[in-house]
Amino acid sequence: MPLEIQVLKSMSPQAAGSVTIKLNGSLDTATAPELERQLTPVLGGAIKDLAFDLAQLKFISSAGLRVFSTARKTLRERGGQVSFVNMQPQIQEVFEIMKSLPGVAVFKNVAELDSYLAARQRSHTENQ
Amino acid sequence: MTLELQATPEEVMRAVEAVQELARAHGLSEKTIFGLALALEECGSNIVNHALQRDARQQFRVAVELTGRSFVIELRDRGPAFDPTSAPERPPRADDDDGPGGWGIQLVRRHVDEIRYQREAGENILRLTKRLPADTHSV
Repeated sequence: MPLEIQVLKSMSPQAAGSVTIKLNGSLDTATAPELERQLTPVLGGAIKDLAFDLAQLKFISSAGLRVFSTARKTLRERGGQVSFVNMQPQIQEVFEIMKSLPGVAVFKNVAELDSYLAARQRSHTENQ
Repeated sequence: MTLELQATPEEVMRAVEAVQELARAHGLSEKTIFGLALALEECGSNIVNHALQRDARQQFRVAVELTGRSFVIELRDRGPAFDPTSAPERPPRADDDDGPGGWGIQLVRRHVDEIRYQREAGENILRLTKRLPADTHSV
């Protein structure tokens, strides 16, 4: 099963500068390198918040977790974090292994994620 | 079902898809199919990336045996002797974790009931067994 990757930059003022990546299909040993390749320019920018929307993700293995973890590390170094939303139950089970790592946040749905990002955005602005 | 595969990630996924199809045809639950696919993906990619060093000229073999009681996946390769079952169980490190005993083998342990390793006549033989509910059809 292939992996479709959609990179979406947030247009809403509450979540300015955040990027959402929608994954559809299988994130495995064969497809993880492509996600890694597409993430390089995203992480090369100044973003602090990156969200993965996993509503259409059908399969994930440790190769996929490692790509997520690399993104987590990069963003954490600049005080940011990686969020995950709309995880299906089987994906969630695999994810258990890394969800307690620092710099990882999991949300049930986009509404929950958006209100979180808005709160973070406010605190970034206040700190500047 | 037996598959002869080249040592590439795409071939690992070809085996995963064949196993998913076979398991689905025998009415296994989606949860069981996911677990089998994951265990095979992890062990297959371990063979390709580590034992056979991604040398596409090298081959490995995946055989599947489905009885009424269990679904067994056997992987064979001619790489250096390596027993993934000997990796210690440990909590994930707070960092990227790609070593022996890392995320891959932890996921395999969580999703199958038994993992057996043997080294025989220059081959690594890894048998993954998932026990099935009593009413599953056999092949």
